[in-house]
Amino acid sequence: MDTHVDEDRNAAGILALSLPYQVVAAVALAVVGVLTCAHLTMVFLHVAPSNTLTKRHGQAVDDWIYPEFEQNWKLFAPNPLQQNVSVEVRAELATEGGAHTTTWIDLTAQDARAIRHHPFPSHTQQNQLRRAVDFYLGSHSDEDVADGPRGRLSEEYMHRIAVLRLVRLAAQGDRRLDGDLRRVQLRSVTRPVPAPAWSTETTATTPSYRDFPWWPVSRADRGPAEGVR
Amino acid sequence: MSTPDDLTRTTATGARDGKAGLDQRLARAVQAVTARALGPYQTAIVRIGFSLTWLAFLLRELPHRHELYGPDGPWSLELARRLVADNRAFSVLLWTDGRLWFEFVYGVAVLSAVLLLLGWHTRAVSVVFMAGVLSLLNRSVFVGDGGDNVLHLASIYLVLVRCGQVWSLDARRAARRAREAAAGPPPRRDLAGPLLWTVLGGFLLATTWFHDVTGEWWVVVLLWVLWLGHGLWWLVSRYGAGEARVLLDVLANLAHNAALIVLMAEVCLIYATAGWYKVQGSRWQDGTALYYPLHLDYFTPWPALSELLASGGVMVMLVTYGTVAVQVAFPFTLLHRGTKNVLLVVMMLEHAGIAVLLGLPVFSLAMISADAVFLPTAFLVAAGARAARMRDRLLRIRPGGVPGQRRTGEGKASGAGPRTLVG
Repeated sequence: MDTHVDEDRNAAGILALSLPYQVVAAVALAVVGVLTCAHLTMVFLHVAPSNTLTKRHGQAVDDWIYPEFEQNWKLFAPNPLQQNVSVEVRAELATEGGAHTTTWIDLTAQDARAIRHHPFPSHTQQNQLRRAVDFYLGSHSDEDVADGPRGRLSEEYMHRIAVLRLVRLAAQGDRRLDGDLRRVQLRSVTRPVPAPAWSTETTATTPSYRDFPWWPVSRADRGPAEGVR
Repeated sequence: MSTPDDLTRTTATGARDGKAGLDQRLARAVQAVTARALGPYQTAIVRIGFSLTWLAFLLRELPHRHELYGPDGPWSLELARRLVADNRAFSVLLWTDGRLWFEFVYGVAVLSAVLLLLGWHTRAVSVVFMAGVLSLLNRSVFVGDGGDNVLHLASIYLVLVRCGQVWSLDARRAARRAREAAAGPPPRRDLAGPLLWTVLGGFLLATTWFHDVTGEWWVVVLLWVLWLGHGLWWLVSRYGAGEARVLLDVLANLAHNAALIVLMAEVCLIYATAGWYKVQGSRWQDGTALYYPLHLDYFTPWPALSELLASGGVMVMLVTYGTVAVQVAFPFTLLHRGTKNVLLVVMMLEHAGIAVLLGLPVFSLAMISADAVFLPTAFLVAAGARAARMRDRLLRIRPGGVPGQRRTGEGKASGAGPRTLVG
């Protein structure tokens, strides 16, 4: 046993072991070393832009990373978002006087009100709708055709959020929603942030609208939503 | 930064010895990473930071928990099942749609955060903590943000880290054991550990039973390895197979040091990615980038404050350029302790600013917790001593009563290596 190395004074580490155990420790060291290097390489390639290696071995990187080591650190990069995207909803209700369509109700404005002057906004206010509409727009063509199963998931999700919010508004006594919910329609309204007052730039600030299709509301959509707080 | 410093110093000592060759320096390095779990204070503060972040988040969302993660929320269990069938993410919440099961998992997640914060049976609790974090965050991925992402990764890495060496109930218990052993009578038996192990074994069986809907195979394998490892450690510690115990210690140290390196590399990658992608953005180039987030409805809890900060073009430009410079530079400053520490302070302050200004306290706390892995040991030790003094004063504990805990930590840290870790 080497005794000249000062570290093993309290009998720890590889030098405190006899040869058979040392072999086990050395193998473990090698395995851990290789795994660490492999993991760091994979994470690096995952966060790096598309390059020679990822073009060739992208599948291997994805297999290693997803789902548990997925990460995205393009925080406000390459450019910060320069527009406010609002989600508005209107509903078709069956009333005694026949079918009736509400005006557009701004759901994002509800979120913004909840966030205002709150030191600790909830994910339900800050992320739910914002990311759901991102997910929808990212998984649909401009003609609202879903691109695969993820697109259909996002449709159902948007739809359930809308119904949940409407049911909640109705429960709060919103007179606009008197009646039986039959169909809902969502639209996104994109408003560019005006250029800074101190800059010479001018930005067109006219909002642009995108209407999503009408979706029928079934009893199943409403049922659980009412139970949700 | 103590850890890499330590490694370099270990090799440097070798060089100073004169004729110490490459093989000898290598031997020293190998001995260092097998004999010690490096960075006891850094890993403890990271543990405390992330468990506090998760606890704060869970308590904040308590009234919204059903809407975010419950079986009947907008992202219903059925939707989650369809997504997970595709991406195979780990979540025990997919086992059943029972309301009670959901409440139980949420409750255990809260409890695990408290216990990890206190450092009670840290190794076992960190596994429960990871299971809770992954189960909830993977259950509803579309309500998360960057903060959730950092927490998600950290909870996995922390499982491999010996993060309860100091500032923990474990450290206090170890010190008490040592005192009792020195005093003579045999130490009391620990019942909580074996009991916890047995209970977790039951859950592990359930996880194995449900492995089809619980995530990728390697997570289940990892859980088994950890569980068996903990059992083995207990046996070996109790029945004193001397060398086997040292071997297990070596394996644990290796896993710890590797996970610590990964954790540090992750922080570097976060800043490098955030910085280098910004360099390419026209708004970061023309110095107006900061102005825009301050005018987004979702990130302006204090509109007057945001307006004030965005009102001066030069000010906005300076902060915009400063942000990019700091993020791009950070990984390189690790080569120089002083610069690294200055930048660390700047980044922590910037995150504190983001917490308030953009209304992102969870994200900011998670980032600060991750940054903390680079805090210098001397600072952490001093801060720990000050915190302990404050606690003693608040609790009016006899001066002789408590320092045991603190001394343990330090004793253990320095006892584990020949030198004190001066960051």
